[in-house]
Amino acid sequence: MKYVLYQLKRHPLAIIAILVILGWIFLAFAGPSLLSYTYTEMDSTFQMAPPGVNNHLLGTDALGRDILSRIIVGSRSILTVALFTSILSTILGIILGFSAGYFGKAFDTLFLRSMDILMSIPPLVLSMVVLGILGDSTIASLTLIVSIAFIPATARVSRGVLLSEKSQEYVQAARIRGESHVYIMFAEILPNTVGPIIVEATARFAYSIMMVASLGFLGVGLQPPTPDWGMMVIENRPIIADAPWTVLFPALAIASLVIAISIFSDFISKVLIHER
Amino acid sequence: MNSYLSTVFSKVGSLLATLLVISLIIFSLVELMPGDVAQMILGQSATEESLRELRQARGLNDPFFTRYGRWITGVLRGDLGDSIYMQGVPISSILWRKVGHSLFLALTAFIIFVPVSIVLGVIAGVKEKKAADSIISFTGLATMALPEFVSGVILISIFAVRLKWLPIVSVIPIGQTLFQNLDILILPALSITFVMFGYVSRMQRSSMIIVMNSDYIKAARLKGLPERYIIFRHALRNALLPTITIIGMNMGWLFGGLIVVETLFGFPGMGSLLMTAIKTRDVPLIEACVLLITVIFALSTMTTDLLYGYLNPRIRFKGGQR
Repeated sequence: MKYVLYQLKRHPLAIIAILVILGWIFLAFAGPSLLSYTYTEMDSTFQMAPPGVNNHLLGTDALGRDILSRIIVGSRSILTVALFTSILSTILGIILGFSAGYFGKAFDTLFLRSMDILMSIPPLVLSMVVLGILGDSTIASLTLIVSIAFIPATARVSRGVLLSEKSQEYVQAARIRGESHVYIMFAEILPNTVGPIIVEATARFAYSIMMVASLGFLGVGLQPPTPDWGMMVIENRPIIADAPWTVLFPALAIASLVIAISIFSDFISKVLIHER
Repeated sequence: MNSYLSTVFSKVGSLLATLLVISLIIFSLVELMPGDVAQMILGQSATEESLRELRQARGLNDPFFTRYGRWITGVLRGDLGDSIYMQGVPISSILWRKVGHSLFLALTAFIIFVPVSIVLGVIAGVKEKKAADSIISFTGLATMALPEFVSGVILISIFAVRLKWLPIVSVIPIGQTLFQNLDILILPALSITFVMFGYVSRMQRSSMIIVMNSDYIKAARLKGLPERYIIFRHALRNALLPTITIIGMNMGWLFGGLIVVETLFGFPGMGSLLMTAIKTRDVPLIEACVLLITVIFALSTMTTDLLYGYLNPRIRFKGGQR
């Protein structure tokens, strides 16, 4: 704990980043009750109102809906999906990557071949086509599909860290003791590889936000009336010349969250790996 | 050099195998799509009789592998089928022009981000832990996971809405070509640049730091060679290799980015075509677009692989041995 505080003092940017992330989490939980408008309410006298008019802090869109409340309600879905995605893709990656690295031989070759195939379709194209074909995305389908698209990345990292631990003496010892393969992989090796895996998972969180926002932007994310940051950008794109705030504020919301998480994950990797 | 050629052949072979599997996956994915192709062509008012006739005529009742075989042999002959949404227009007549547009956009982005990221990455690496490094590293970190439409929206607000220097949308007026409207390329290309800058400059920085601390650079310094000469003649050659790999690995993001950017700017490329295909549930067009994106992606990955092997003498001269 002391070590973490010491590192925080050396990286003031990381403190700002953590505050931004906590701020978004707070707004996602408590935000809607603090607002004077709901996210579906249409203020018919103030359509495309600039920021500040009639208590609309960030203005309204073409239907007179409050931009601020739509951004705050939208933060809930993107944080949920991105969090679940980074957790699920990391877990699936550990299971697949560990088994491939541990058992080796034909299983490993099969694993590497299938990862090559999965990687040969760009992740965004893959998720977009699958979600587009299935139609009507839900939080569950979005999480699952994006996680699958991320598996090559997470599984390769897990396989790599397992291979570097596999020849250690404590693994040999456990094998001689006659422990089961599952026990050796997850009770012996996993605790020793937690550092790099956490680093990968936090970086994955930033990519998940990027991906989920982009899918929402492409119209295959969560369906209306759920407000989605990416969707807000493309919805209001035609009126960008007359009401730039309708597009700019959701974009800045994504930017602030993504940049904060990137800085945070960079900090985590410095603390856990490089500067130990 | 012979062993290098045999690597080339084995790579081409595994590329073809991968593409065959991928084509099967794409074809079966689209099978999952709800809805009936015959119904989509004839519309809601079609009679049961005409639907049955059309299904028979298009072979929609044939078993899965018969239909896959017919599709893939057609693709190999260059016949990508007809678009459903655009009333039976042959796909190859629209696709190639759009692919050309997209490749040109990607090339423009490439010409911007590759030199900029490499130069700034080298500066950051050489001036490690100084002010220049902090600024470049922070910018790289900030833009690395920034979705292309976010950087695009910010660029539009500044350069198109406020300053009015560049067009707000990137559409080509009817009857004109892309080359008569080159200004529409600038903002989309810059939007893609941001993400790629993050990856490439950070990679270049860290490989530069490793190389600059290596023994042979220390030896060159002790010989009294000028610093500029050391950086450009000795260090950069080795420090570029990991960067080439990272550019190749991130081609996938670049293609995803193209779709997002083309949708944002309304640019008539293959990404916005795929978007339209998905929205209108145009089965043959989705298949053709995804297959083509995969082929181009695979070719570019293979090219960077081979380029890496060619530039790295350790691989070039003993390519066969592992």
